[in-house]
Amino acid sequence: MAELTDAGLVKLARKGNQDAFAELVELYKDKVFHLAYRMLNNRHESEDIVQETFLRVYKNWDKYDENQKFSTWMYRIATNLCIDRLRKRKPNFSLDAELNDQDGTADGYSLIPGDNRTPESEFLISETQQIIHQAIAGLPAKYKTIMILRYLQELSLQEIGDILDMPVTTVKTRVHRGREFLRKRLEHKLF
Amino acid sequence: MECKQAASLMHDYLDNELPEEQALDLKSHLDKCVSCRTRLKELEQTDMLMFAAVKHSLPSAPDDVLNRIMSSLPKKRRQQAWLGWVKRHPALTAAAMFLLVMLFSTLSIWKSDDQLVVKGPDLDKVRIEGHTVIVPEGTEIAGDLTVENGNTEVYGEVKGNLTVIDGSLYQASTAKIAGDAKTIDQALDWIWYRITNTFTEVAYR
Repeated sequence: MAELTDAGLVKLARKGNQDAFAELVELYKDKVFHLAYRMLNNRHESEDIVQETFLRVYKNWDKYDENQKFSTWMYRIATNLCIDRLRKRKPNFSLDAELNDQDGTADGYSLIPGDNRTPESEFLISETQQIIHQAIAGLPAKYKTIMILRYLQELSLQEIGDILDMPVTTVKTRVHRGREFLRKRLEHKLF
Repeated sequence: MECKQAASLMHDYLDNELPEEQALDLKSHLDKCVSCRTRLKELEQTDMLMFAAVKHSLPSAPDDVLNRIMSSLPKKRRQQAWLGWVKRHPALTAAAMFLLVMLFSTLSIWKSDDQLVVKGPDLDKVRIEGHTVIVPEGTEIAGDLTVENGNTEVYGEVKGNLTVIDGSLYQASTAKIAGDAKTIDQALDWIWYRITNTFTEVAYR
């Protein structure tokens, strides 16, 4: 089974082949986990996201368009689940009113703490990395998803657009702003 | 070129989306502008640090996650595939269902009848002994005679067709059958008989 391409595995898995599906899970579970971990900063919730993502993939094979890359479709499901989680957290912290970013949409996600077991505390890492992780955690939500997809999964702007159902031009603008945001955060500490 | 425009080009450059012509414009601006040079350097460093750091130090998904996913999958995948076919071909499905229902109802009619049935005119001239229908010598049946689920013995005369369904037919040397004499004892023949019979009945009405 190892020599099969993604498309081949997907084809088999769609027909109900459990081994092929397991192989797909094996290939992508860490990527989904990392994405969720970066977005939610919570290990338990990230595990839930991984499980839920693949369950949805399994249940919704008939909605999958074979012309689309499997990973794009899967990331779309995963990011939507993450965004839903973040949205559900929101009522507990009414920070919206105080924060306004450039586009006039308010969100306080960046200030919402995850659980205490952030990557930083679980793995002893350098101060540089800590600064970087804090900078990512501090990104406003709508930039955060895009930047995480960009840096973590090394996706093209077009792919990110497909995943988030956004025009490429929007993705581009946000990548630029997100990059500037990160630069300013790192400016005085690292450069 | 203004610094603001240069900044936008820098991002395009970092996204690998800067056409060569504009790249040259940007380069000539950078040669003159120290602050933009610093900015580009910082942006490049940001990207590099991010690519490296974001992946580092991330725990992988727990080992048992695969098992948990596989065991939580719904088990009725096969049925869903079947249902999918049905959903995609509603007309065929309806036609198949119709045929199935028809077949079963016809078969059930055929199966449930094991009573002796005799149809035709002049039935008072016919003698019935147990499961045997006898047309005695010297008698004359004026039209078609049909016998279901019984044996038939003909000694006299039948002026029409004689049909025997699920039974045997015996014709004595004295028998005279003006029309066709048929025995039917298979479901398919019987169905065919039913159909043609319905049509001829309808046609003569």
